[in-house]
Amino acid sequence: MTAAIEIKGLTKKYGDTVSLDGIDLTVQEGSIFGFLGPNGAGKTTTLRILTGLARPTSGTAKVFGYDVTKGTNEVRSMMGFLPDVPGYYEWMTADEYLRLAGKLFGVRGDTLESRVQSLLELSGLDKTTTKVGGYSRGMRQRLGVAQALISAPRVLFLDEPTSALDPIGRKDVLDMITALKGKATVFFSTHILTDIERVCDTVAILDAGRVVEQATIAELKAKRGTRRIVVEVESGAAVLAADLAAEQWAGDCSREGSTIRCMVGDLVAARRRVPQLIADHGLALVRMNDEEPTLEDVFVGLVGGVV
Amino acid sequence: MRGFRVFLGKEFQEIFRTWRIFILPSIMVAVGLLSPVLAKIMPDIIGSAASAQPGVVIELPAPTTMDAYLTFSKNLFQIVTIAVVIAMAGSIVGERKNGTAILMLTKPLSREGFVLAKVLSNWALLLGSTVVGGVACWAVTQAFFANEFVDRFVAMTALWVLLAALFVAAVAFFSVVLKSQSGAAGAGLGLFLAMTILSGWAPARDFSPAGLVSLGNRLLTGQEAAVLWPVVTAAAVAIACVAATAALFKRQEI
Repeated sequence: MTAAIEIKGLTKKYGDTVSLDGIDLTVQEGSIFGFLGPNGAGKTTTLRILTGLARPTSGTAKVFGYDVTKGTNEVRSMMGFLPDVPGYYEWMTADEYLRLAGKLFGVRGDTLESRVQSLLELSGLDKTTTKVGGYSRGMRQRLGVAQALISAPRVLFLDEPTSALDPIGRKDVLDMITALKGKATVFFSTHILTDIERVCDTVAILDAGRVVEQATIAELKAKRGTRRIVVEVESGAAVLAADLAAEQWAGDCSREGSTIRCMVGDLVAARRRVPQLIADHGLALVRMNDEEPTLEDVFVGLVGGVV
Repeated sequence: MRGFRVFLGKEFQEIFRTWRIFILPSIMVAVGLLSPVLAKIMPDIIGSAASAQPGVVIELPAPTTMDAYLTFSKNLFQIVTIAVVIAMAGSIVGERKNGTAILMLTKPLSREGFVLAKVLSNWALLLGSTVVGGVACWAVTQAFFANEFVDRFVAMTALWVLLAALFVAAVAFFSVVLKSQSGAAGAGLGLFLAMTILSGWAPARDFSPAGLVSLGNRLLTGQEAAVLWPVVTAAAVAIACVAATAALFKRQEI
């Protein structure tokens, strides 16, 4: 596989504020790459540099070998971009906007018309005749994805494409992204963990301008995630929770009614010890199982904050 | 300049499909229609105002074609110039503020092409509006007065178009420098004021674009008017403004 995006030592400073602090990233061609981080981590700044809208203070960023800081048409010709809040010419209809976008990429004639029609259908805007100025936020985002795809780009940059969308709008946009798997490289910035888990195969976690981890989601969970054990008893959960928290293999424990969840360092030791404790207290076990770490567990572990 | 022609086409579409088609052409047509009418009725207005004062008698000569064209000229060089500055100040900065520039400039459209399409479409709108307003003025003037001085009227109007074109280029530059529509309009109005003041100083009037502000009326009234240097320098400054706007815009972050 070849690298679609290569970022080395990318730094961006605004006065004394360091927005990006020497980040390194490699995104393989054809992957759906999740760029995850809390608000203000530097995701949009990275995307602005990759799309030629901003210049780095130092470092390099290349898309298919082309230096994006040169702002050349070669780079722009192979990419599609959806900013977090896309701005359109409000007097245009969706098909007019897509035609304008297509013509800027040099797409003409029957090819343009067929792409416009298929993208209007894909985005669910084919039956809409109103001007863009009257669109809802969801319709604007879907048009944003459609215009980013009009040139059949090799790489697609999406900045928070699902934030502020209702569940149906979010599903539609995620379905559109999923459909691109293998056809284009998607660089997808978000702070919504479930979106990343649903559509991305590789993820980088950005915090305070630094990449704290880059791996596939499975690798990340295996490497960084701590398993969790869940125990439910009929009564006496408070006493059991206190005993579990005191065990050496246990991390953070929480109790919700009669259900106890404990982070576990040594799963085998936990599986042996928990039934003993339940028996010692004479409690009735309802269920006991262990859970896979979620991306949220990994994220909180790495970033140490709330998403 | 890849994408320039496509984006220029979008600019022309936008002129015809938004409020832009109404603002400047409406002002020009209104000024064109009303200037001769105002010249025609002005003696009656002054006479009736004076007759209200006992003992005051004002004798005014009958209005002429020249009065109609001079009224048009005065309105062009003052009211319409200010309107041009205000109307065009948001052309580039508006696209930045609305976020529309981001989606365009991340496609194969060069920044130079973006700026040039903006300025050229504004120049075309200016020229079209002036032709419509000038024809309206000429037609109404023919209806009220004799058909004369058309060549001088055309020369004066052409001189104003060049001055207005310079202001279009200048506010484009100001809007990129200041990143603010109101700031660009303010700077444009400041430039207008400075040029008006400088037009009273002979060296500036004869050898700089400031001369355009006062030479219109001299052309119209048949006085000697050395237009070569003001025209050449105004054209050069306008082109330099466009080039500087494009160069600066290319370096800026969006």
